[in-house]
Amino acid sequence: MTGLDAISAANGWAIAVVGVTIVFTGLVLLSLAISQLHKILQMWEDRRRLMEQVSNKWKPRLQTEQKIESAPNAHDIKETAKQAKILVQFIGEPFPLPKLLELSGSCGIFKPYSTINALVLNKYLIPDGRGYYRWNSDKKI
Amino acid sequence: MINLIMDFINNTGFALMDYRNLVMMVIGLVFIYLGIVKHYEPLLLVPIGFGILVGNIPVFQGLGLGIYEDNSVLHYLYFGVTQGVYPPLIFLGIGAMTDFSTMLARPLLMWLGAAAQMGIFITFLGALALGFAPNEAASIGIIGGADGPTAIFLTAQLAKDLIGPIAVAAYSYMALVPVIQPPIMKLLTTREERLIKMEEPRVVSKREKIIFPIIGFLLCCLLAPAALPLLGMLFFGNLLKECTVTDRLALAARTSIIDTVTILLGLTVGASTQANRFLTWESIKIFILGALSFAIATASGLIFAKIMNLFLKQKINPLLGAAGVSAVPDSARVVQMVGQKEDPTNFLLMHAMAPNVSGVIGSAIGAGILWTFMTR
Repeated sequence: MTGLDAISAANGWAIAVVGVTIVFTGLVLLSLAISQLHKILQMWEDRRRLMEQVSNKWKPRLQTEQKIESAPNAHDIKETAKQAKILVQFIGEPFPLPKLLELSGSCGIFKPYSTINALVLNKYLIPDGRGYYRWNSDKKI
Repeated sequence: MINLIMDFINNTGFALMDYRNLVMMVIGLVFIYLGIVKHYEPLLLVPIGFGILVGNIPVFQGLGLGIYEDNSVLHYLYFGVTQGVYPPLIFLGIGAMTDFSTMLARPLLMWLGAAAQMGIFITFLGALALGFAPNEAASIGIIGGADGPTAIFLTAQLAKDLIGPIAVAAYSYMALVPVIQPPIMKLLTTREERLIKMEEPRVVSKREKIIFPIIGFLLCCLLAPAALPLLGMLFFGNLLKECTVTDRLALAARTSIIDTVTILLGLTVGASTQANRFLTWESIKIFILGALSFAIATASGLIFAKIMNLFLKQKINPLLGAAGVSAVPDSARVVQMVGQKEDPTNFLLMHAMAPNVSGVIGSAIGAGILWTFMTR
């Protein structure tokens, strides 16, 4: 058998197409791999600097998170209470807690939710039983 | 006494010779001439040419002299060819002497090496159309890879009877690269394209050169495991060269080992071209297909380079596409020669080595694929 019939009978067209495709795939993959090789090696050589960059990027955020997680300590709570008392005096008593939260946020008090929560827990702010809060004048600051 | 003398005369090569042996001897002498006088691949053509003379001395059958006779010395030496032992050892040496720097610096040029392998598969189709069996067609197709050891390796696995003509065709055309390629290169490129200058490649670090053979081996052999004997040795040889701690082994691979194997391979391939087996219509068809495959491979590389230029901001000289055939480093030299004819200040050799060595990898993958398909 000769001619195109012979090619078809031996599945020649498919072999040729698949063969060329595999050769191309192999060399293209290899070219892609080696085109990135020097970049990967460069990164490996600069790994310390990169690690420092990454850790610097995350450092301030971690400090923030730590501040968020930790409640104000005994010294901080008194300082915070002094600031909060001024705000309470400005609002007037009794006051709704959301109003104090809003004012604290606009005045730049750090993390107002946590701070006011700490003031409530430490009984600087006490509920008046009617859905409002008052400043606990028995607490010394 | 007269009978003894007559017996002796009747058993001499002169008495046993027929015209076909003479034709083959002339071919052998032409090979030696091309190697010595024209410097066309002398390391291959001289052993093959002399091997053709050796193989065409008519000998008395039964004495255990001919290469196809069991227990003859030549038969044992030929074992390395028929069992595919020599080609991987040659690849070891090639790996130990090849510098992949330019390819690592511009990996995009590897695509030209892939494009030039079209010659393999188009010739495969041509051989099928001419009535060759699929395994024979695959062996003939690999001539288009322009890689002698790969052609011998695949033929040894698929069509042992064709080793002689295929090996001679592959090496002849490899030697004739400076004759075959330039007209095709000029035909398919404009002067402006031939004048394109390539930008300086970046410097490649030693670490990259050491890691490349490992990545290359894993990637190529996992994709086409049948290429393992050739590519495994190629990348191993290159690792020996680049890793700096195995200089002695690399030196042995690129000198004594490859030289010894080249002598044995060339001589026995030449000797396998005994006239009664070689001078057939099949051989003539193989030679025609081989020439076509070289031309197709060269044209494919050139055309693909032109296609790439349609998409690239920094244009590449399309002549580099012709170096995609894996005749290392002859086709790269031809690119340099043709480029410098247009502009003596244009140095393309270094850039042409990238598609050239990637062509070696591509043709080995191609051989592995054909071997896999033919043995399924």
